Amino acid sequence: MINVTPTMSQSESIDLVNLPTEKTALEIKNLDLFYGSKQALFDVSMKIPKGQVTAFIGPSGCGKSTLLRCINRMNDLVEICHIKGAITLNSQNIYDKSVDVAALRRRVGMVFQRPNPFPKSIYENVVYGLRLQGISDRRLLDEAVERSLRGAALWEEVKDRLHENAFGLSGGQQQRLVIARAIAIEPEVLLLDEPTSALDPISTLTIEELINELKSKYTVVIVTHNMQQAARVSDQTAFMYMGELIEYSDTNTIFTKPKMKKTEDYITGRYG
Amino acid sequence: MNKWFKSGTPWIWMTGGAVSLSLIAVVGLLLLIGWRGLVYFWPHTIYQWEIDNNGQAEQLIGELHDSELVPTARLRATGLKLEGEEREVLERYLVKTGNREFVPLDFRWVLETNIRSRSTPKDLAVLERTTNGNFYGYIEQVLESGKAVDGDLHQQLQSRIDRVAEINDQVRELQHADIGAINYELEKLRLKERRLELDHALTPAAQQEIVAGRKALNDHYAQLEKQLFTLRDQTLRDSLVVKDMRGQMVTIPLSNVLDVNWPNDMNLLSKIGFWFHQIGKFVSDDPREANTEGGVFPAIFGTVFMVLLMTVIVTPLGVVAAVYLHEYAGKNVLTKFIRIAVINLAGVPSIVYGVFGLGFFVYVLGGSLDKLFYPEALPNPTFGSPGVIWSAITLAILTLPVVIVSTEEGLSRIPSAVRHGSLALGATKAETLWRIVLPMASPAIMTGLILAIARAAGEVAPLMLVGAVKLAPTLPMDGNFPYFHVERKFMHLGFHIFDVGFQSPNVEAARPLVYATSFLLVTVIVGLNLTAISIRNHLREKYRALDN
Repeated sequence: MINVTPTMSQSESIDLVNLPTEKTALEIKNLDLFYGSKQALFDVSMKIPKGQVTAFIGPSGCGKSTLLRCINRMNDLVEICHIKGAITLNSQNIYDKSVDVAALRRRVGMVFQRPNPFPKSIYENVVYGLRLQGISDRRLLDEAVERSLRGAALWEEVKDRLHENAFGLSGGQQQRLVIARAIAIEPEVLLLDEPTSALDPISTLTIEELINELKSKYTVVIVTHNMQQAARVSDQTAFMYMGELIEYSDTNTIFTKPKMKKTEDYITGRYG
Repeated sequence: MNKWFKSGTPWIWMTGGAVSLSLIAVVGLLLLIGWRGLVYFWPHTIYQWEIDNNGQAEQLIGELHDSELVPTARLRATGLKLEGEEREVLERYLVKTGNREFVPLDFRWVLETNIRSRSTPKDLAVLERTTNGNFYGYIEQVLESGKAVDGDLHQQLQSRIDRVAEINDQVRELQHADIGAINYELEKLRLKERRLELDHALTPAAQQEIVAGRKALNDHYAQLEKQLFTLRDQTLRDSLVVKDMRGQMVTIPLSNVLDVNWPNDMNLLSKIGFWFHQIGKFVSDDPREANTEGGVFPAIFGTVFMVLLMTVIVTPLGVVAAVYLHEYAGKNVLTKFIRIAVINLAGVPSIVYGVFGLGFFVYVLGGSLDKLFYPEALPNPTFGSPGVIWSAITLAILTLPVVIVSTEEGLSRIPSAVRHGSLALGATKAETLWRIVLPMASPAIMTGLILAIARAAGEVAPLMLVGAVKLAPTLPMDGNFPYFHVERKFMHLGFHIFDVGFQSPNVEAARPLVYATSFLLVTVIVGLNLTAISIRNHLREKYRALDN
């Protein structure tokens, strides 16, 4: 068993099953997901607490990224994908017909595996979401850029070259730029899909520290295949296997005394 | 041997050979038309021959245009005596004698046995004239109001030619700008009257107003006309006395002379200067004498104008169609079918597009436009006859497939990560397309445009049906509101080549012009393409995300 001594302070363990509504950011209810006729998620139900970091772990193909993409409806882009069940964000079902998907994605930001800056300047990358909302006041944009870049721990490195092309940045810097871009529109929830898998160890560390800071303002959901990372950054951990949610509880419990055999096998490295 | 085959060496030789052949073809083509075209502007030596014309001595002055070897037997068969001639072949020269009004043909074959002597006198002059082509001879006198002028002949002549050129510029300005504007206004007035008449709104007051307006314009016109005649009279003041090859004195009014030079008296430097001067005149002057003399400026202008207009039409259309096909259309059989149909459109012969353009755009669309918006001008067509706009639209349809195909290709190369990044920030699909995808696909769109321009600028066949003419009296752009007159007919370099080469009354004189115009057409297309390529490279640099 991996010796986990959480390096960062973790909150008191909370009752995830009977989480009160005001503390719940997201609630996933009996979610089934199909790609065509193939079912990828089986009856997933969980509550994700506000202002904390929740990690999804599990072997490749277990459905953790798919579940994450359900939260901001990125799966809508896959034509053959359809969903049963519900996800509520602040008590509203995001799969309700009346929901404006673009508006939902402004509330639920997302960062992808590989850094994907736009072929624009650093400045324009950060203000992209704001410009979409029709904000063009120079002063507001300048403020947002500084605030977001500081929030993504990138300000000091790029403040003198804001108008240079974003592709001039290193991979780690690009990933932080993408985080800055996501938090510039001040979402309620931030989804991170294996945000460090394409980065070197030092950049990874920087991003992990950043995640810890982000939770003071945002609810963070992170998908990772790196168990140490889940242990280091998250407050709650969900273990998924073959499209099912096997175990979900606070990170300490999962890594020290898992209830399920499968979880124990996975975190001790017996498969995955 | 077998081993040699297996090693792949013959394959390398074969592929390399194919590349070399293509290179030789391209370079050879450019060299040939470039050389033949550019040599035309080099000052030709003017010879004076003493020839034997049935025992009588005759003088012949002109340029050596061509020469060929003819078998003696064949010459004998035509009835020539050629006594004591033992050679198998004889050389025969084609001489351009000019002086078209005094000789039946300004080109003449001379057999070498008839030539007694040849010389290149330094004071032989070439007079470039507005009508009847070149005149060769010795300048004897410069006359001012019929009286001989003293002093240095060259200097006197040059200053007087410049004076006439200046007055002619004024005349042209007066004709095109001022008188042109009055004619335009008069026509507008006529159309206004006719429109009121058609609307049954021609009140006496309105009629009076129109009559008054017409009178004012006519008065102004008469005034300008007087000015014009005064200027024309001024150009008639001077004339030249030239001794031609028959030894006769010919008086030529200076108003008919564009340029005088003495090519036999030029050194290399002045020849080079002359060469550039001639090229400059070729690209900036209007054509004269059924396009066999003068420049090709209206054709250059027409070609570039039409291509740019086509670009403006085909770009939005092609890009929007490609966006629909690639982004919105369902991935089904119908879409596939449409895509194949679009690609196949590129294979339809261009003349078919011309026929379609004439039948649909000119007659149906243009005719309807005329009925709806220009009923006062009928039965004279406004848009209902071939014009530059219809040519541009016809070629836009012709080049639409390349733009669609390359735009689609560009769209499919945009990484989905970037699209998702935009969508995840709350952008709708349309916003993502507009702000991220299309800018990133712009180099591919430019590639499509480059191909489209290359194809359209060289296309002639359809244009003959939908707008290109031998001689357009006016450019499609001038100083009269609304400045762009897209319904007008226009001149096109490609059509100009066809016209000069095949429809010209003077084929010998026109041949070098065909080369020169072809070279110019190639230059114009290369110029347009280089512009597009440099824009594309700039865009690539800006959106180089694809390479990362």
